[in-house]
Amino acid sequence: MKAPQRIKTIQSRIASSFVMLVLFTALLLIFISYRLSESAVRETAESYTSELINQVNANIQTYITGMKDISLAAMNNPNVREYLASADELQPAELAILKAKISEYFHSIRVSRKDIASINIFGAGDTFISDRADAELNPYIALSEQPWYRQAKENKGQTVISSSHVQPVIKGEYRWVVSLSRELSGVNPSNGLGILLIDLNFKVINDMLSKLDLGNRGYVFVIDRQGRIVYHPQQQLLYSNLKTERLERVISDKQGGFVVKEGGASRIYSIKDTDFGWKIVGVFYENELVDNKKQMQLSFAIAGLLCLGVGVLFSVVISRNLTRPIKKLQEKMMEVEKGNFDIRVPVGHSREISGLARSFNVMVLKVKELMDQIVVEQEIKRKSELNALQAQINPHFLYNTLDSIIWMAESKKHDEVILMTSALARLFRASLSKGREMIPIATEVEHITNYLKIQQMRYQDKIRFALAIDRELYPYLTLKVLLQPLVENAIYHGIKNKEGPGTVTITGKFQHNRIEFQVRDDGIGMDQSKVETLLTSKEGNPARNSVGIANVHQRIQLYFGAEYGLSYTSEPGSGTCVKVLIPAVHPEEWRSLEGDVP
Amino acid sequence: MKSYMRLRYILLLLISVLILGYVAFQWSKAEPGAKKIIVGVKALDEIEFWRVLIEGVNTASREFGVDVSVVGPTQEIEVDLQIQLLEEAIKQKPDAIVMAAGDYNRLVPVAESIRKADIPLIMIDSAVNGDYAQSLIATDNVNAGQKAGKELSSLLPADAKVAIVSFVQGTSTQIEREQGVRSILESRSGTEIVGTYYSEGKEERAYEITKKLLLERPDLNGIVGLNEPSTVGAGRAIRELGLGGKVKLVGFDSSVKEVKLLEEGVLQATIVQKPFNIGYLGIKTAVSIIEGDKVSRNVYTDSVVINKDNMYTEENQKLLFPFVEE
Repeated sequence: MKAPQRIKTIQSRIASSFVMLVLFTALLLIFISYRLSESAVRETAESYTSELINQVNANIQTYITGMKDISLAAMNNPNVREYLASADELQPAELAILKAKISEYFHSIRVSRKDIASINIFGAGDTFISDRADAELNPYIALSEQPWYRQAKENKGQTVISSSHVQPVIKGEYRWVVSLSRELSGVNPSNGLGILLIDLNFKVINDMLSKLDLGNRGYVFVIDRQGRIVYHPQQQLLYSNLKTERLERVISDKQGGFVVKEGGASRIYSIKDTDFGWKIVGVFYENELVDNKKQMQLSFAIAGLLCLGVGVLFSVVISRNLTRPIKKLQEKMMEVEKGNFDIRVPVGHSREISGLARSFNVMVLKVKELMDQIVVEQEIKRKSELNALQAQINPHFLYNTLDSIIWMAESKKHDEVILMTSALARLFRASLSKGREMIPIATEVEHITNYLKIQQMRYQDKIRFALAIDRELYPYLTLKVLLQPLVENAIYHGIKNKEGPGTVTITGKFQHNRIEFQVRDDGIGMDQSKVETLLTSKEGNPARNSVGIANVHQRIQLYFGAEYGLSYTSEPGSGTCVKVLIPAVHPEEWRSLEGDVP
Repeated sequence: MKSYMRLRYILLLLISVLILGYVAFQWSKAEPGAKKIIVGVKALDEIEFWRVLIEGVNTASREFGVDVSVVGPTQEIEVDLQIQLLEEAIKQKPDAIVMAAGDYNRLVPVAESIRKADIPLIMIDSAVNGDYAQSLIATDNVNAGQKAGKELSSLLPADAKVAIVSFVQGTSTQIEREQGVRSILESRSGTEIVGTYYSEGKEERAYEITKKLLLERPDLNGIVGLNEPSTVGAGRAIRELGLGGKVKLVGFDSSVKEVKLLEEGVLQATIVQKPFNIGYLGIKTAVSIIEGDKVSRNVYTDSVVINKDNMYTEENQKLLFPFVEE
């Protein structure tokens, strides 16, 4: 980004402020909602785990309570009581019947309870009563060495719940069971008569626990009071030390759970104690929560990016809309700067901008008016200046003319005096022409005729004049005092310095809808460089007549345009010819044109 | 001015398209994330060893979140079928193949083509002839053989005649175990190894071989069974001929039949491997390789000597009776 330049435009400022705003709000919202949902997920996971473990606990409790109930029922069974009370005194046949009854009773219990694997009473010697009549003891197994047997003996009538183990006492059977065992006593409690063994099929617990779902890697395990594993899905790995389990911490824990951090990944242990000393432990991997977390992060990121994208788009559009009228205004202003004052800015919708546009329009209008006014005033000024100039009659001419009149009067040439004086009077009348600038060519002809008369009288034979202006030109208009400076110039600079008489010829005729006058003399002529300076120089050439010629030229151009004006052709020694080109302007037209100019 | 604005719009559009594309890419990547691993075992459920191993495989696949399918013949002897199954596995282009070679030499071409297909190869339990696997996870079979040899040696008289009942000739496990057994017994002065007999992994065959052997060689003092069917077959022959305890038997692996033989005193000891661990570590190693971690080329799992006295300890119970069944 070309930051320094872009930041300076209002649009980018507005846009970037919007983007910042959107970014900030989006981030804040995402952060807050992410934190909220994260803790919600965590809480859900935790409550799910603890609920699950409670459920497991309740189920296991049911099994164990069931076993206890059976053991109580068995002990209170009259046959069992009789057997216990008087086993020694009975005849073998009677004992066999009793045993059969007890066996049948046990059998009926076992059949009704799927979770019970077997119910047995082990009496003194190798006598035993099983729920199955055909069951035989495994001859290679010593009963007294079995942990459940020993512990029942040691606990004297208390029920003992074993960990999960393989029960090898019945021949040909190697079942995984959880054993409840208790010593049975007769009348004398100190004298044990046998051991009641109820085996819970471990499959029920195994199935229940292995099917639990605590995420992909999470699991539930159960340990007994001594910290032996009742159930662990990775029992073999633990025994081989491929995995370790926090058994000691589980045993010593009193809070119902803890968190283990291991190389960045943490496991959440949640522990439930049972009435009979087992601990049920749910292990939940926090990084599975993190898996969730990642997905959550991703979706939040997407939401955020979308928000941001839409925000950016909107801010660009809004800022563009806001600044567009300003930009337009700016563009128009630049055109005005270039000089186009015919610009009008469309007035927009917003109040500020439309106010600005209106003011701008008014301003441009005013400026234009002022400019026009200045132009008009300047023109008027120029014209009046020129008028003033043209109104000046060469004082030398007047002086000389008056001298000539005096001289003629002295010579008593009354006719000539009258002629010359009247010519002078007409000359002045024609040149005044009621203050009008444009005069009919007839008037101009009269003017020049009178001028020529005076000059003729003064110069006698030195100069010959020939005036040939088409009569059809007479009604058309021309600037007044157009020809006189040219003739004067021809006389004073052309003929006067020439030896012998000279001729000035004045012609006027149509030239393709234009009017062309020619003033030709056969005087000394001019060189090319002088010709070139004649029309252009005003101040450069101090000769008064040159000023007069340039003035004529400028006046024509000012009135009629640049394509009109004077053009000189001259050759030293053979004379000069000046052509005057003006449009053929009919008085009617001119009046309508004149009316426009204030 | 105009083109600059247009440029910005295009830029914005481009960015949003990029974002959406990235997001879509992320989603598509997140969905079918599970890596596929094919495990080729020697036998599916004929022998408890493989069932436990497969359980280890399943535990690991659950823990590491990989998609595992196990293929294998029903009997260890069906090496051709195993080769065929593995060739089909290669066509599925899994992320890794975990393989237990049914034959030391015959599976070499399969191992070769797995490597050629650029699929990571992990061997478990038994290897092939050559260096194809990125990692081998197995019982240290030489060591296990030595354990068996020592166990038998401690039970034998000074001058002893010993036979070895092996299973499928040519598998690395068999070769190594025999090597271990022989290394101990041959160093024992006066002990003669009468020969190695192959049961082809079948109990019946082992029974017949042993019975014939016992009848032919009444002076035989000890037998080593190199796997479960071989051991059980030999045990049955010994029991049937009433030679239980007289002819010492040390076997491998575990089953209810072996447990009974142990209890009866026909089988003096059995060397129990940890197939669960082999299966578990096989998958774990495969996952490590897929993720680009370094793995050691050889991982040896434990073996345990189990005899009548220690068979019901908490830990050995789980080895001898791996499954909880009704």
